[in-house]
Amino acid sequence: MTDRLLSIVRSLIFVAFALVLCAIVFQFAGYNAPLMLASVADGAFLRPGAIEQSLRWALPLFITAVGVGISFRAGFFNIGAQGQFYVGAIFAAFAAEWLKGGPAALVIPACFLAGMLGGGLWALWPGLLKLRSGTDEVITTLMGNFLASLLLIYVTSGPLKDPSGSGQQASSRPLDAAYRISNSLGLSPTIIITAIVVGVAMWLLVNRTAFGVLASLAGRNGTMVRWQGAKLWQLGLSSFIISGALAGLAGTIELMGPNGRIASGFLPTHGFTAILIALVANLSVVGTAVVALFFGGLASAALYLPVMAGLPAAAIDIINAAIALFITARSNVVDKVLRIGGRSR
Amino acid sequence: MNDIVIAILRSGTPLIYVTLAGVIAQRAGVWNLGLEGIMIIGACATILGIMLTHSFASAILIAILFCVLASILLWFVIEKLKANPIIAGLGLTGLGVGGTALAVQSIYGSQASVNAPFGVPKLGPLFGSYGVLSIFVALMPFVVVAMWVLLCRTRFGLQLAACGEHPFAARSIGANPSRMRLIALCIGGVLCAIGGAELAGGSLQFFAQGMTSGRGFMAFAAVIFGAAHPIGATLAALFFAVVGALGIRAQLSFGDKVPHDLLQALPYLATIFGVWLSGKLRGGAKAAAGFAELRDQ
Repeated sequence: MTDRLLSIVRSLIFVAFALVLCAIVFQFAGYNAPLMLASVADGAFLRPGAIEQSLRWALPLFITAVGVGISFRAGFFNIGAQGQFYVGAIFAAFAAEWLKGGPAALVIPACFLAGMLGGGLWALWPGLLKLRSGTDEVITTLMGNFLASLLLIYVTSGPLKDPSGSGQQASSRPLDAAYRISNSLGLSPTIIITAIVVGVAMWLLVNRTAFGVLASLAGRNGTMVRWQGAKLWQLGLSSFIISGALAGLAGTIELMGPNGRIASGFLPTHGFTAILIALVANLSVVGTAVVALFFGGLASAALYLPVMAGLPAAAIDIINAAIALFITARSNVVDKVLRIGGRSR
Repeated sequence: MNDIVIAILRSGTPLIYVTLAGVIAQRAGVWNLGLEGIMIIGACATILGIMLTHSFASAILIAILFCVLASILLWFVIEKLKANPIIAGLGLTGLGVGGTALAVQSIYGSQASVNAPFGVPKLGPLFGSYGVLSIFVALMPFVVVAMWVLLCRTRFGLQLAACGEHPFAARSIGANPSRMRLIALCIGGVLCAIGGAELAGGSLQFFAQGMTSGRGFMAFAAVIFGAAHPIGATLAALFFAVVGALGIRAQLSFGDKVPHDLLQALPYLATIFGVWLSGKLRGGAKAAAGFAELRDQ
């Protein structure tokens, strides 16, 4: 087995371990665990139409996770994808509001750009703080997530408030039908093509450009890269901005595709799941695509769980958290088993 | 004046207990981002414990038990399974937030919050207008001093710091870094349980889903801001509490002119400022220690 394959298999073993552990806990909490696991599989991949639903969640997750992978590669622990995702969606919503009445062929690309700008800006300030004054980016990006969700509440109950909306959840005015890039099922050629373009562009960036190679080296050994004459802070800042812009793009897609509006408390764990995806995929772009499908399946099963196993949808949050707890584990026992398996092959 | 001091003590005390938990973990060499999750487990277990046993003493024991178990789980994953502490900590936080929500839902149906008949015992009329504060507030200064003595003035504390800074050197004097980290995380678990109990039962008497709302992460930032020194980190946590209390005060007096979401953002902004300042003063914190291992395997 090659090393890269080995590490993905190892991650998947721990994912399975986390799933089994969750099943045991749910069984003790009084739920039917086998039924739960069966309905996760059912809701993710087996039910008719499930693949489409999984793909609907996988595509924005993939775009976000590729971005997370870019900043992780460069050695920056940008865990603020959630906030960058929100701010991207907010910027795109403002752009759509201001350009209302314009031709769709102009407004939609403008919204995409605005979303990427918003996400990029929300990653820019932690990046600057990190590179100029050494401020730990783990804390600044985390705090950025809280600030972005406050901003979302402010925007949806203030400037963009839908006056006709009622109930507890504040939300923005719905987007014009002409500017929607998919129906509420959230799968359309535009979204698929966007994800493919992002995937190819990022693969090229990482594997075929000096920037990608240097950024990866910078993540491993910054001093060496500086000796080679590369500007470390340019590399670092660019990778922050790229990862933020991609999270913002995913937010834009959620706004202009399936949701059609932004609401407070909208898609709560997208950014966190994206971090898991990037880590399971070992930061490779191709791997991210495969792993995003798996987690997209989990996300789509989350909507299916309350109906089938009587579990609250929060159960998927717990499963994701359990996966996070174990995902970076490197047990010697597992490694030994895997190596022996590799030799006998 | 009295009421603003009371407001600061009320919001600051849970934060300070959790910050001390972060300090001892940090000194032992663990970046504990699971504080948020352990704290919410403590808050939930206290309120559910009061509901089930009708006794505060047994409720706090239950909370301590669960928080120590969660800390042991974190230690096992980080030390025995060699997981990345930051990701594992975030995972534990997710488990705490999600697990307590699930526990409340499965016991009380779809209720978003649980109200208890009573909370942490109060100081009583002996203390005048400060009598509304809980016993944990009065206990807090002693705990801070005790932690300072433990961490900075005892053999154990120095060995612990050695384990965090240079595990190899610590091993050479016969300390076992892995076991020291277990002890540190367990002490942290007890402190998080008290912090969570104070949050849910100090001035309030209920548990709501996600009620910690980032306090654990703020405590972690206070650890960084206060250079992992018990007194320094306590002052940092107090600073965040003062900013938060002033924000609420500002909201009451001119809430119509300033959007209240912006005032709610004040503690988070203060946290960013604190971490920025500590980076400025002491050079960059050794961010994401263990990151290289994460990538290179």
